[in-house]
Amino acid sequence: MNRRVVAGFIIVGVLLAFFPELDDVLGYPRFLLTFLYFVFFWIAQATSWNMLTGYSGYFSFGQGAFYGVGVYTTAALVTKTDLPFLLTLPIAGLLAAILGLLVGFVVFRLRQLRGELFALLTLAVDFVVASIIRNADFIDGGQGISIRRVPYPDFLGTFPEMMFRVGLVIALLTVFAAYLIYNSRLGRGLFAINDDEAVAEGLGVPTFRYKMIAFGLSAFFAGLAAGLHSIQISYVTVEGVFSLTIPLFVILMSLLGGRRHWLGPAIGAIIIYTLNDAFSDTNLQFLNEVVIGGLLIAIILFVPEGIFDRLRSRLVPALILAAGVTVVQAVLIGGRITGQAAVVMLAVIALLVIPARLYDRSIGRYFTRQQGPAEALNPVAESTTGE
Amino acid sequence: MQLIVQSMVSGLLTGGLYAIIAIGVTLNWGMMKVINLAHFSLCFLAAYLTYQFTISTGQDPFLSLLFTIPLFFVIGLALQWFFERFEIEHFMSLLVTFGMFVIFESIMREIWTADLRNLPVDTVPYRAESLWIGSIALRIPQLGVFIAAVIVSIATWLFLNRTYAGKALRAISQDRGVAGAFGVNHRRLALLLGGIMGMYAAIAGVFIAVMFVLRPDGATEFIGVVFAVVILGGLGNTAGAFGAGVIVGVVQSLTAATIGPGFSPLVTFSVLILVLLFRPQGLFVRSST
Repeated sequence: MNRRVVAGFIIVGVLLAFFPELDDVLGYPRFLLTFLYFVFFWIAQATSWNMLTGYSGYFSFGQGAFYGVGVYTTAALVTKTDLPFLLTLPIAGLLAAILGLLVGFVVFRLRQLRGELFALLTLAVDFVVASIIRNADFIDGGQGISIRRVPYPDFLGTFPEMMFRVGLVIALLTVFAAYLIYNSRLGRGLFAINDDEAVAEGLGVPTFRYKMIAFGLSAFFAGLAAGLHSIQISYVTVEGVFSLTIPLFVILMSLLGGRRHWLGPAIGAIIIYTLNDAFSDTNLQFLNEVVIGGLLIAIILFVPEGIFDRLRSRLVPALILAAGVTVVQAVLIGGRITGQAAVVMLAVIALLVIPARLYDRSIGRYFTRQQGPAEALNPVAESTTGE
Repeated sequence: MQLIVQSMVSGLLTGGLYAIIAIGVTLNWGMMKVINLAHFSLCFLAAYLTYQFTISTGQDPFLSLLFTIPLFFVIGLALQWFFERFEIEHFMSLLVTFGMFVIFESIMREIWTADLRNLPVDTVPYRAESLWIGSIALRIPQLGVFIAAVIVSIATWLFLNRTYAGKALRAISQDRGVAGAFGVNHRRLALLLGGIMGMYAAIAGVFIAVMFVLRPDGATEFIGVVFAVVILGGLGNTAGAFGAGVIVGVVQSLTAATIGPGFSPLVTFSVLILVLLFRPQGLFVRSST
């Protein structure tokens, strides 16, 4: 474990944990807490999806099913039993993980089910789970579940504050787990599977076990975050829960942020949710979907590795641009804080989408330190091994 | 018994619609390695255009084919050009066309709103009519889509097996490099195939407009079923897509008639999962190993 990263987690966690208390000091609008809760929810969803897919390259649409199981577990337990609601969250996660392990146990045994076929099979799992839940009278029975007020411990504060705090904990846990996986044997094994599964197997990576662990963990955190989210939706229907929104958004977020790094999906989640919120806020629903769809296409075509790497190499100009846009907006335009954030993000993305060669020749010239010519591999050593 | 036979027959006929859509998807996937979700959007766009044509002119909806077929030939060609230009294949194509799917859906919602759209009865007087064979009813639109599916399947089969372009396309799908070495112009043939897929979307669209109530998000309901048909039939297999379409149609309506309508997706996708697990090459292909 890297000490700086752990310290970073603690600092971010503590700062955000006191955020609800500081509303008098900071004077932010109340909706911001709920907005941030949604950001936390999407961070947890995207990061959990990435645990299997980003590292091992198995593209799963099963996120919809895990999310659905999580939402319905909490919804059913809260309305039909006396279980305290916070206790239902780990149960939601566990049931989702069991589903993930069941699917994985069958699917990962078959070598030919990679790529598109794995994606379609997990998509079919979404449909199957949806119709089981729709037809099971003790869960949904086609009527939907309406969740009334849920009791929770008083120290968590008002409802938005409670959602904010629990959501924060889940998001931090998920991202931290992703960080641990990324830096472990498991993570390196998953990356090896992504590069060449047969070779990885030959070199002694227990591919089946690693894929199972990753899928199980991925499903667990998806279900955990989904359980909490059922309280936020409050009226749970099969049509709403099992729409393609969840799989589409987690894929988009992870691809945008960069799925080869543990922090990539979280960055993608923050950006996509903020943009989405800003658009749906201003009666631009039409534009919203067009932008989301167009963004997906543009990212895959022009920044297939995600923006996280580019953000790191273009950090200084990006920060200057962001600060500039923020000042201009604050002074000249005004408006909701989330809308302003969305504009800043769009500006930064525009900077990051610039192709590498063009960037190096124009903006990059002013920001890179003088570097010597790239150090080539020792040509002598290479030619001798080649003989 | 009467009920079961009746539902089998109407499932068989409805399966024709799945087959027409699935042939478009399976050829794109099997030949060009493009998993084209936008194909579903094109079908629904064609359905909405048919609706618009019928509403504004008061003519028979099938007359709209006169302009939708050429129009969608061009659209399909343009899409294929885009895929070729950016070398979009395999999983990437699934994501890119997903983006297109979302964009098409929001365009349709913007133009025709989220309200349900249905063709007025007087423009399609035969919609509720049936042919009777004994006590079994063959509903005219369903019968029509089945006949259309048979024609489309046979035409596609003849195209792929009896014409130069079709044979060349099959060669490309097996080995693009070797086919190129024998002088097969890959790009032009791919564009042709894209255009044909667009035409099939137009044909499917007319029947969707006649048989269903239109919603902008209606295409989502077809994705799962049609992919099941494509996998069951085997990738790139026209006859397989037709057979699988009919099987899925029958299974769905039998499930709906005997267990309950809510269960038909459950059965369909369970079958899909089993086939993926045990026969991922599809039902109609002899095992090659």
